[in-house]
Amino acid sequence: MNFLVESPGLLTTVQDGGRYGYERFGVSPSGPMDRHAFQIANILAGNRRCEGALEATILGPTLVFDGDGVIALTGADMGAALNGVPCPTWRAVAVYAGDRLTMGPARSGCRTYIAFCGGLDVPTVMGSRSTALQSRIGGYEGRKLAPGDTLAVRPAPLPQNLPARRAAPPPPYGGRVTVRVILGPQEDAFTAEGLDTFLTQPYTVSNDFSRMGYRLEGPVIRHREDGNILSDGMVTGAVQVPTSGRPIIMMADRQTVGGYTKIAAVISADLPLVGQCKAGDILRFRSVSLAEAHEALGRAEQELRDLERAVAAPACPEKTYRVTVNGTPYDVRIQRMK
Amino acid sequence: MNDFTIRPVGDRALTVEFENQVSRAVSQKVTALQDQLLSREIPGLGELVPTYRALLIHYDPLRIDPDELARTVSLAAGDLPPAASISGTVVEIPVLYGGEYGPDLEDVARAEDKAPEEIIRIHSGSDHYVYMLGFAPGHPYAARAEKPFSIRRRETPRLKVPGGSVGVQRDMSDIIPFEMPTGWNVIGTTPILVCDYRRENPFLLKAGDWIRHVPIDLSRFREIRRQAELGEYRCRRYERGSGR
Repeated sequence: MNFLVESPGLLTTVQDGGRYGYERFGVSPSGPMDRHAFQIANILAGNRRCEGALEATILGPTLVFDGDGVIALTGADMGAALNGVPCPTWRAVAVYAGDRLTMGPARSGCRTYIAFCGGLDVPTVMGSRSTALQSRIGGYEGRKLAPGDTLAVRPAPLPQNLPARRAAPPPPYGGRVTVRVILGPQEDAFTAEGLDTFLTQPYTVSNDFSRMGYRLEGPVIRHREDGNILSDGMVTGAVQVPTSGRPIIMMADRQTVGGYTKIAAVISADLPLVGQCKAGDILRFRSVSLAEAHEALGRAEQELRDLERAVAAPACPEKTYRVTVNGTPYDVRIQRMK
Repeated sequence: MNDFTIRPVGDRALTVEFENQVSRAVSQKVTALQDQLLSREIPGLGELVPTYRALLIHYDPLRIDPDELARTVSLAAGDLPPAASISGTVVEIPVLYGGEYGPDLEDVARAEDKAPEEIIRIHSGSDHYVYMLGFAPGHPYAARAEKPFSIRRRETPRLKVPGGSVGVQRDMSDIIPFEMPTGWNVIGTTPILVCDYRRENPFLLKAGDWIRHVPIDLSRFREIRRQAELGEYRCRRYERGSGR
């Protein structure tokens, strides 16, 4: 199956699990901004968790399919419709040749994932299909999708148990969000008052937010001296505070090294919450222990494993009836849900 | 014995910090630790990212306990082999200096109160040690000990310089991998590609290597660029101290 990008939306890119093994050469990991929703989309569509899928941002694309397939939409609600009829999300959906998937602006959250059974067929660069926008590699020609692009989906046996392929949607995204952080590695560079400001005051996502990082607006975080260090390595979720005292959360397309003090890093289990924030959303930070962070990550992992088990359920019995309405015959397939 | 500190960086990385200074001795501890860890099979160990004075160690918390990893790392960091301070691979990088290929050469010459030819002689006259790669894929942060310039970054960065641009500031020298902004003073351009995704290892350099700049003229530049674009140019490499 291929699909035509009739309109690309604001920023739609191919992402897989990310590009690993090249950070010491300066290559960003890229990958999905909301890893949790991304993996759920793939599992629902019948893929391995980190298969190449689309990440749409703020305004979704319009896609026209030229063959039959199975897709799954997760993440932000962009009011998706299939041939003008609302398209269910957080579950697998069959699409047929000629179907048109339209999406609008995000109603809550920022990023929607569209996974396709078989995964997107784009070449791997350094082992990954993720688009790295700054270095213009990976994904579809190293760039965001444009009108007229045609993407191929790798052929794969389509799952037959679509009704079993559903996941519970998470609570609404964005708005006011508290994310957990591990302090450091340069927490000593800040005054006690500076640390207190960071951990008690609300920060608003500014208009300058991207796959590289989120600049936040809020009370200045005071350093003991300044915000400069000898450049060192970076993690996704690191909260950099330059001398200005204004924090920046480093995200998937971040650079691999940085010369500013890092007051903390958002824990892996809460990074998806940041990835679903957009300008105007309000973040608060809460310091937790490494043990608590790993426990939260373990729970998120367990949720994905449970989902993998649930979607492996055999297809329920199905019956087909021929129904004639106003002289037109229809084949109606009926499947028991549970 | 080495002085070092191990700290968590988020919930899936540790950093090992050595002395807080830019020096080859410290950098070589970082790369020696990297090599030690890479030579062992540690389940759950992720990427290692060497920088001036720290090694960032990514790990998978679902596969390895951070305390156990910290113990392993601590043992390795406390028992590093002494570095032979002049060893390493030298990579020869051809550079066309000045003119449109090095728009800031005249400014650097003025700032250093030297003739442009003297700037070229200094820049190509000693090896530059690669402390780390970062900022962009394949982008080296390299420096020489001999005759550092005093010029700093440009006050107004250039919004776009072509790939291959060779920039300098103080003792540092870099190579821009593809068209991007830079605040460094561009004194020349290399016709080679510092990252070529057609190769199995796309990157020309790694932390711990040395760069030797070799001045070339325009006709040689064009010849090498043509070979590089075909993927046929190979930089000369040799072990440092082995003579050439």
